[in-house]
Amino acid sequence: MTENEFDKLWQQAEAEGYGQRLVAEYPGWRRKQRRTIGMVTASLAVAVLLVLVLVAQMHQPQNFEKVYCNRVGTTDAQWASLAAEILTE
Amino acid sequence: MKRLLIFLILLLPIAAMAQSELYKHYASRKNLAVAQVNGFKLNDAVRVDVVLVVADNEAAWNQLKVELDIRGDEGVNSWLGELKQPAKRTRWNGKTVLRVIASHARRTVGFYRLNTEEQYDALLDYQLEKMKK
Repeated sequence: MTENEFDKLWQQAEAEGYGQRLVAEYPGWRRKQRRTIGMVTASLAVAVLLVLVLVAQMHQPQNFEKVYCNRVGTTDAQWASLAAEILTE
Repeated sequence: MKRLLIFLILLLPIAAMAQSELYKHYASRKNLAVAQVNGFKLNDAVRVDVVLVVADNEAAWNQLKVELDIRGDEGVNSWLGELKQPAKRTRWNGKTVLRVIASHARRTVGFYRLNTEEQYDALLDYQLEKMKK
């Protein structure tokens, strides 16, 4: 059964009042439901992440945009500070 | 969820592309801490990209000094270097150059990428302004 056929059957079953029975008896429904929930969750996570990044950038008056580093242990702000300090040493 | 993972994996090469050749050149070497500061603010309108290389010890610093032809043991050495060969001293000619500043005390070299005359002037102004204070 294709997804389109299933959708038609689902609409028909709902119209006839058999929706719950179909949910219980058709295993593909669960897969479809899980996939939908997964996609919605992922979309929400990305949206929240983007909002957090934007808010963080708006609230930090930084003197740099982005820092790449080959080691851990020094913060981005410390690197930017070093860039400023050796200019005026 | 699979699509999100694919999206994140696709972002990785974009991040790698943002790193300069200069950064990549030094980042893989032992005894050197390297950072690329993108968009370092010189004033409200002008920003530059900076690569900082810090030697862990005297031996690594001496090696850097040889590679970049840095003479002396005190204070700061500063010059305009060619983009592909930072050790090669040059003059401002309208093309992208690096303002290289080597601090002996910090065992640090900073490479300030200057693409435009505006950046070149802003860097000089920044140095003058800060030194006045």
